[in-house]
Amino acid sequence: MKDNSLSKASKEAPITSKPRVGVFLCHCGGNISDKIDMEKLKDSLDATVIEEFENLCSINGRKLIRDNIIQNKLERVVVAACSPITHEKTFQNYMTPLNPYLMEMANLREQCSWVHSDGERATDKAISLVNAAVERVKYSQPLDPVLRKTRKSALVVGGGISGITAALSLAKQGIKTCIVEEKPTVGGSMVQVGKVFSPEKMAEECAMCLLNPIVNEAVQHKNIKILTNTRLKKAERRAGNFNLLLEKEPKGVIEDRCISCGSCANVCPVKVPDSWNEGMTIRKAIYKSFPQAVPDMYTIDDENCKKCGKCQEACRMDAIDLQMETEIIPLTVGSVIIATGHKTFNMEKRPEYGYNRYPDVVTQMELARIMGVNGPTNGKLQKPSSGEVPERVVMIQCVGSRDEKPDGRRYCSKVCCMVAMKHANIIKSHYPDTEVIICYTDMRTPGMYEKYYKYGQSNGVKFIRGRPGEVVDKNGTLIVRVEDTLEKTPLEVETDLVVLSTAMEPSPGTVEVSEKLNVGLTEELFVKEKHPKMKPVSTDIKGIYVCGTAQGPKDITDSIVQANAASSKVSELMNGGLESEPFIAEMDRSKCNLCGKCRDVCKYKAIYIPADSVHVDPISCNGCGACISVCESGAVSIRGQSDEAMLAMISGMLENKREKEVRILAFLDDVGYVSADNMGINKVECPDSIRIIKISSINRLTPEHILHAFKEGADGIILGEYPDNPMYQKSQEKVELLRDELVKNGIDPKRLAFYKVYIPYFRGLAKKFRNFDRIIKCIESKT
Amino acid sequence: MKKIQLESKSERKGSEGHKSLPEEVLNNIKASPDLGLFKCVQCGMCTSTCPGARHTDYDPREMVKRVLENDRDVIFDDKIWNCFYCYTCQSICPSGNSACEVNQILRQMAIKEGSGVKKIDSFTTYGDSFFEFGMGSIPSAFFDDMVRDVGTGYLDLKINLDDIRSDLGLGSYIMKGESLKEVGDILDGTLFKDRLEEIKKHKKQNK
Repeated sequence: MKDNSLSKASKEAPITSKPRVGVFLCHCGGNISDKIDMEKLKDSLDATVIEEFENLCSINGRKLIRDNIIQNKLERVVVAACSPITHEKTFQNYMTPLNPYLMEMANLREQCSWVHSDGERATDKAISLVNAAVERVKYSQPLDPVLRKTRKSALVVGGGISGITAALSLAKQGIKTCIVEEKPTVGGSMVQVGKVFSPEKMAEECAMCLLNPIVNEAVQHKNIKILTNTRLKKAERRAGNFNLLLEKEPKGVIEDRCISCGSCANVCPVKVPDSWNEGMTIRKAIYKSFPQAVPDMYTIDDENCKKCGKCQEACRMDAIDLQMETEIIPLTVGSVIIATGHKTFNMEKRPEYGYNRYPDVVTQMELARIMGVNGPTNGKLQKPSSGEVPERVVMIQCVGSRDEKPDGRRYCSKVCCMVAMKHANIIKSHYPDTEVIICYTDMRTPGMYEKYYKYGQSNGVKFIRGRPGEVVDKNGTLIVRVEDTLEKTPLEVETDLVVLSTAMEPSPGTVEVSEKLNVGLTEELFVKEKHPKMKPVSTDIKGIYVCGTAQGPKDITDSIVQANAASSKVSELMNGGLESEPFIAEMDRSKCNLCGKCRDVCKYKAIYIPADSVHVDPISCNGCGACISVCESGAVSIRGQSDEAMLAMISGMLENKREKEVRILAFLDDVGYVSADNMGINKVECPDSIRIIKISSINRLTPEHILHAFKEGADGIILGEYPDNPMYQKSQEKVELLRDELVKNGIDPKRLAFYKVYIPYFRGLAKKFRNFDRIIKCIESKT
Repeated sequence: MKKIQLESKSERKGSEGHKSLPEEVLNNIKASPDLGLFKCVQCGMCTSTCPGARHTDYDPREMVKRVLENDRDVIFDDKIWNCFYCYTCQSICPSGNSACEVNQILRQMAIKEGSGVKKIDSFTTYGDSFFEFGMGSIPSAFFDDMVRDVGTGYLDLKINLDDIRSDLGLGSYIMKGESLKEVGDILDGTLFKDRLEEIKKHKKQNK
């Protein structure tokens, strides 16, 4: 039983053994006919109808094709003209009433008449190109493009500024959105930092005042549901939608009843360090992170609660339930946005700076809490050891970042210079007598932020160009050892407060959520974009997007920009639906033994086995064919790229080979094919032995195809693939396998070449073709 | 004003002798294959922790900079002899460079050029003790310094060492007979002796 659920078209036109094929040859206004002998070409072909025309892509060309299809009852059509990249869509539209996928194009312009100077050889090649298309089209199947509508709902993982912004944008577009946040409150790092700044205003603004209206809007919006203390537990992909399971940890407090009076915390006997203040204050086991926390309610920290029941007695609203259990919430959504944020570098990896050893060595985040009005000192700058105002503050930049040591982070964390400047400016404006020194290697204040840097300099912030090596305590005074690299002198800077600008790292939540959703990560474990330049918010998986620091270090503004971009991508998907080419994997379930190898090999995660049958997600699959190679029972095929069609095309390319003639088949992927077209557009000469066949990926090729080609008379085979796709590694393994197969069959493996292709590097491809042609001719002359 | 002049292509690509100083350092047998010399961003972290820099005018960052600037005078600069190979600079460098390694290569170059020989000639006596006792031992020329640094107890220890060892039930630590000959043969076979003679020759010439 074939999985035919996707194609209604396949029932309309069955494959007949000898279909009626019509061939239409285009002169392309002389572009083709000036070089190729059209009469000879016409005479060499075998088809029901053979027509030629000045300009097939014109309205009159359309009439010629359509009239012929109707009058001569054509079942298949070959258009021999320009590259399918240029006009395949045009000619597919000319096919009605035939299914558009029953048409095949032979590329006579870009890959034949424009790359050969010798007319006779070009004609010979044109014959084989058209012939191959005729042979192939006989096996073409009617297909429908894959169309999918996804559900109008989304999940946003992470309730920081990125997640809230994205959710609000989605909600305003009418998309039901759920925010899950593992902490008891939303707001993320932004509420912790206290103050923010922008390059336009030379002032530091209250972060909470900026964020609160947005959070309130999100809380009140009818399309948004916020789940705190909740994690993503499980995720599954089905036909463009995501089936999710969320796990809500017990809070011990009933949300609707709690009036946030705090009498429970007053009586709670458990005292633990308060992580919201970076451990600098104490909180109870029943607590609210900060007065303005959203949702406005108390939470029991299950890890530390002794279940003494005192809070229960104190609560007049009867809101406390110590028996509350973990709740599992199922959810199906059309899209997911990952906004899981970051964490800061673990300072235990840099013992030389004395963090944890000296109380007056703090991180920028701790300094932010110290200077936050709702922080441990109510906004007063104090040394943690004594509570005095420091006379001098030394900031150390690049702690853990731009660091190639094994436990360091190689990248620049992008915001630390600006964070240090912000804190330096706040200190200078509130405590003008306190000296601030920033030790830097490079001050990185991109774009307009340079203005803020200059502002800091004019405020009297001092700078030492050098990266400190260590912080030591000498008779109760902290000493920062640094070389002033501009003065060329090693320095010992006495200070009473050291502030470390630590690196930004991916949060554990980012890694966890990405694993559950099968989203690819970078080497540094941030979420990997589909393309860092062109698709900065898309992930490898269609329908999953990323924003904020889950994707890499960035500031609040960039996070908001990216969050809005991600939400517009979600809305694109939901309003426009998904349409993709129908060339996807197809499973013959009667042959499938459910071994799961196809599922494991697929980097696009398109294959899933829910119970006792295998399914392909048509949106995720891109038809690369890696699954075919691993399927031992031969149950997989690629729709529209059947083995029969491939083999027929190979035979067609090699038919009528003259004695001593050399023919080389070039299998190129989409990128390689465009590159080869560029050779034609730029009139770069190509050996006439080369016959190009477009495939989805090298993974589609099996040893059978290669051996068939050599049996039918190919002298060499060249494979070309763009290296920047997720399946490239598999392709390389495939080439090795194919070479082994050649050796087993007594064919010189040098006859198979593999080449990385890039669109602009068409001259390189031409050179590769020429070299390979020479190698093959050399082998031929020896045998 | 300092000028950075254009080199002709042949100069840049030329033979061994025309290699730039940083390339020469990187190609030296002593250089680790992943030495991050070109990755140095002059942050000065090496100098900030260098005990040599704290007590002398040696600056590992500056030395690396001069190498990168192709300043061959650095080879003949007395300052490079103030590094004492503690490797702190290497352990702390965020760019994967090792000033210590660069220093060792520069010193080797200085020795090859002759100017470094006088810096190491006092160490030749260490070499002599290998042939004499079959092991390294602090040469008598350094005894005064040791007494100044460690105290008079050092001299007592030296004088009474044999007695102390026999009290502890230990024999003489000095090799004799076949063993001594064997050590000598190894040092001879590995051309250690030749190198030692070479350095001594320089020592005599300089006197």
